Order: sequence, then C-alpha cells, then structure tokens
Amino acid sequence: MGGETSEAPTADEEFEERTLTDILDPRGFGWLTRLGLFGLLLLAVLPALQGYGFLGIVVNSTLLANITGAMFFAVFAMSWDMQSGYTGEISFGHGLFFGVGGYASAILQAQMGLDLLVTIPLGMFAAGIAGLLIGFPSLRLQGPYFSLITLVTPIIIIGLFRFAPDVTGGATGLFTETLTTGAVEGYVVALALFLGALVLFLAITRSDAGIVLTAIREDELAVEAAGLNPAKFKLFSFVLSGLVGGLAGALFVHTYAGGFVAPSDLLALVVSIEVIIASIIGGIGTITGAAIGGLFLFLFRVYIAQVDLTVPVIGVPIGEIYFLLFTVVTLVVLFFIPEGVITRILVRTRQRAAAREEEDGGGGGGGPDLATDGGWTEGEPSNLERIVATFTEQLRAVLPGFGDDP
Amino acid sequence: MAVSPVTVGVNVLLLGALYAVVAIGFTLIFGVGGILNLAHGALLTVGAYTAYYLVNAGIPVWVTVPIAGIVAATTGVVLYKGMLKKVADNPVSVLILSLVAGLIVEQVFLVLEGAQPLVVPGIVDGGVAVLGTDIELNRLIVFAISWLVIGALFLFVNETKTGQAILATSMSRKGAALVGIDADRVFTLTWVVAAGLAGIAGVFLATFQTVTPLMGRTPLLLSFSIVVLGGLGSIRGSVIGAYLISFLDQITVQYVSTRLAGVSGLVVLVIVLLVRPEGLFGRELTEG
Repeated sequence: MGGETSEAPTADEEFEERTLTDILDPRGFGWLTRLGLFGLLLLAVLPALQGYGFLGIVVNSTLLANITGAMFFAVFAMSWDMQSGYTGEISFGHGLFFGVGGYASAILQAQMGLDLLVTIPLGMFAAGIAGLLIGFPSLRLQGPYFSLITLVTPIIIIGLFRFAPDVTGGATGLFTETLTTGAVEGYVVALALFLGALVLFLAITRSDAGIVLTAIREDELAVEAAGLNPAKFKLFSFVLSGLVGGLAGALFVHTYAGGFVAPSDLLALVVSIEVIIASIIGGIGTITGAAIGGLFLFLFRVYIAQVDLTVPVIGVPIGEIYFLLFTVVTLVVLFFIPEGVITRILVRTRQRAAAREEEDGGGGGGGPDLATDGGWTEGEPSNLERIVATFTEQLRAVLPGFGDDP
Repeated sequence: MAVSPVTVGVNVLLLGALYAVVAIGFTLIFGVGGILNLAHGALLTVGAYTAYYLVNAGIPVWVTVPIAGIVAATTGVVLYKGMLKKVADNPVSVLILSLVAGLIVEQVFLVLEGAQPLVVPGIVDGGVAVLGTDIELNRLIVFAISWLVIGALFLFVNETKTGQAILATSMSRKGAALVGIDADRVFTLTWVVAAGLAGIAGVFLATFQTVTPLMGRTPLLLSFSIVVLGGLGSIRGSVIGAYLISFLDQITVQYVSTRLAGVSGLVVLVIVLLVRPEGLFGRELTEG
C-alpha cells in the first residue's frame, strides 16, 4: 500500500527510461510504500502467529475473524473507489453489488443445491450483469441521475426480496452452506481476495485507463474532445467494480458471515454509506486510501462496540453511537480535508521529498501523480492542464499523428 | 381485508398533497440553486420532532405547525450557509455532504429518543362520514392546509416580485444578475421556503403516522420519484407527479401487498429516468 509514488505513470521524460525492474526495486521505494508493504506482509503472516501477542494484542481466532471481516469490507470500499472515486459518478448504492453477488450465490445454493464453486462465480457475474443493466442507460445521462438510480435500486431489491420471502428469506435472511470451516481458512480466502482486488485495481487505475477515468472526473468535455467516449469508460469501471463487489459479497456470505445472507449485511443503505465513508476518510480516488479506510473503519466499529465507556452529558454508551461519530468525522474530513487523510499524508511527504531534492540540487522530482491527487491539491498547476497534457502524450504514443496539424 | 374505496381515495388525495409540499421544496432547491439536497427528508424529521417536543411541553398541536416550520427553515439555512454553499460548485461534494448531514440528523434523534415510534396527536379530533365511510377530521384538515400552502406558494412565485426573482434565477442566473437580482438572497430565500415546507409536512405526517428517526427517508425517496416524474425543477410537475405517485403507491399497498409500499414509486422513478429523463413536464435546467 502507498505504492503509487513509484508505480504511477508519470508524464515526464524519465518515465521512458524506467524499466519494470526499476519500478519493482525495493531500494527505490519511499518509506510510505515500505510501510504499506510491511503491513501487507504482516497481514500475510498473521495466521502463523497465533498465540503470540504484540503490544497487548493477542493473535487469536477472534482477531483473525475481525481482520477477515475488515478485509472484505476493504474490498467493498475499493470496489466503490474504483468506480465512484475515479469517475466522479457517485454511486450511493454499491451495496447492490455485494447483495446481488451474495444473494445470487446463496439462493442458487440453497434453492437449487448447486455447488458453491459454481454459485460463487455465478454470483460475481450476476453482479456484473446488474452493473451493466443499471450502468448502460444511466451513465449516459448528465447530472445527478446516476446517483439517484444507484440510491434507489437496492431499496427496490430489498422490497422485492420482502415480497418473495420463500425464495429469498425476506427481511431476516437466508441460510446457505459455508465454503470454509476454521477462522484461518476464512482469513486466507479474504486475504487472497483483498490482495487480488488491490493489485487489480492498482494496476488498472495506474494504467492509461486510470488516467482517462480521472480525466472524466475532472472534465468530461475534455475527454470527449480528445475523441474518447466517457460513457464507455464509466460503464467499464462500473461493471468491473460490480464484478469485484459481487465476488466479495458472495465470498463474504459463504465465509465470514457463516453461510448466512441478510439484507442488513449487504444491501442496506447503511452498508453503501459506510463504504463511502471509509473511502472518504482514506481518500477518494486512490484505491490504497479506500483499502486502509475500509480496514480501519471495520476494526474501529468492532472494537468501539466493546468499549465500556459512556459519553458524558447524554449518558449513552459510546458503542451505540459509533455511526453518529463516523458521520460527524466524515463530514469534518470531507469539508476540511476533501482529498482524504491518506492522500493528504502522501502529498505532504511527496512535497517534502521534492523540496529536499531541490535543496540537494537534483532536479526532476516526482512527476504529477494523476491517479492519486487529481483535482484536490491546492497551489499546484491545474490538474486539468496536466491531465490533458499527459493525455495528449499518451495518445500520441498510441496514435501517431494525433494532435499534429494536418 | 376490504378497504373502502373512499378511504383509498382520501388517502390518495391527502398523501398526494403532502408529498407535493415536500417535493416542491426539493425541486425548488434543485431548480434554483442546482443543489440536490439529500438532507431534505431530515428537515422533515426535524419538523416532526420539534412538534413532538412542543406537544410534550403542553403546547397545542396547531401552534407547533408554524414553529416546526421555522425550526426546520433555520436548520435548512444553517445547512446551506454553513456548508453546502461553500461546495455548491462541486455536485459530488454536495451529494455526499447533504446525505451525511441527513444521516447525522437521523442519528442524533436516534441517540436522543431511541428508535421506538413516538406519537403526536391529531390537530383536531373526531371524524366525519363521507359517503358512508368514517374519515378522520385531522386528515381533511391536513389536506386542506396542504393545498392552501401549495396555492399560496403558486401565488407567491407567480405574482410577487420576490417570487418572480426566484423564477428568474432558476431560468438564468446570469440574466437574473443582469437585471439586478441578488442571487445569494434568492438562494437563501429558497432554502427558507423549502425547508419550512418540509418542517410543516413533517408535523402533518407525524399527526397521522408516527415520529421515528428514519421517518424522513420514505418522503425523500418519494420526492425523487415525484420530481423526476414531473421534471426536475418544475413546481407544477411536482404537484402532478405527487398525485400520480401517491395514487400508484396506495393502489399497490391496498390491492397488491403492503410489503411493496414505496417500491412502485421507485420503479416508476427508474423507468422514467431510463425512458424520459427530462420528466413529464421537464424544462431546461438552470445554466448554472
């Protein structure tokens, strides 16, 4: 995590000279990237450390289960960020994807007796198709229509589920089989999903497609003027986000949730909102921010519920008002640090590194990191200018003669 | 369960008028200021809880109606001036901030009063027989007041200078500025009117349903359907949309299944968005 400093495509001339080996050379990483990689490594070896304790935190099956849930939630947040954070078409109902993935798999298993290894991929594709059905018509419209449609579709689905409780389990939920038995197995599934989603989203958002998506958020007209169809890219990111969200939802149901699928876990408005909150706190349009925000929010929610602390004046246990706390924190973050906490740290570190390099007399510095800080940094050259410039560069490389005089 | 068609008819007329009051405010804020206020349902909740607290303090219900309107209007102006105005040029921030602000209102009432439904008594007691069916007098009063409010708003917007300034700003901000209309004043006024209407509607809704922290959600969602059906930014469209939606919703609830409450309106919303996104009475949106 935090790897974009060195992995992101840069617009300056140095880019051409950097080979894959250079990019993957750990000696070239900033300390944030190293910290992120260390965190990932820690996540990977955690199951092997059962019984040991660090700083008062003992690694046991409860901790593993909590982190399993947190990794699922982080994947939810990343799938939201991949679509909404990058294109700026805010989805208020990403729970739809988690719900469609989870429910499709659960219903196929429980009602038709199919094997989980068949139903989970089917759940994933069902969510992808849902994304296609919703995205294809609504992403063409200008204005807030996409947000409205995404906000209401999960509510419609919940209503329909309540209408057919025999098949769907109605408002309470539906029991189905589990894929794994122990806490460690569930943890491994979640970790594989988490790493897979992280790598996939980072690769896509740091590629040319990621630049186009960011450019759509900044100025859709500029993208159209460059001869690209924004609706196509938006639909691509929405369906991709749906596929990953659906897979995460299906795996969540059959591992962490213990084979139980309920609207409140996946489809409810609160789920969609928490995903947005996690991404905002971490930093919209970064993937890594959404991942860290998702892990943090889930674990914070689990542990704050256990805190035996009562808020003075109103006399309410702090665990009961966590959602209020989160909404207030989100409001403050969104208003004062609109780029998100992780992004702020990244930008600050990079500016400091650039300043240090300048003092040392070494020119260059990091190129504009379009995929991470698009549009939010103050006092830097307009992101739109940088995007359009980068964009023209990239197009020149693909289409010889683009932008030249006829 | 045989429900008298008269009851259904009264429900359609009443809820249509009430939804229209909410939706007009919603569409005004969008049409004039370009802000899609997802906290509109929360303003309604604020009105309802204001009435609840005042009634518990011994104040008659009918007195709480204007007070709830004022409290909600103040909340709306604070929300606009303190927050949304500063991010108004970024529609994404507006959507998320207003939604989160609405959630905060819900959570505050949830913490203060809990999730259990609270009761606000009707504005008047008793009932009258209409075509052999007993109808609560309260519903008729609410219906009448709602229509008075809608009528007053129509007159205000179409006949007074201030109302025409609002219309002008919604048509063209630049044009309005050219003839000396202070856009900032118009936006604030729009918020006062819209939030005030939501607060009043909140009290009305509270008198024949119950007060809960999440009570604003259904009206908000129905408002989406209504204003999209009628055309975002069109007042006349909102009234007609409100009646179509309340008719459809009541028919579904009474004759198909109560479990589908609200769903039919949302289905209509999705269909309209896909087939005719400009709405039945759509007109050009503001040019910003």
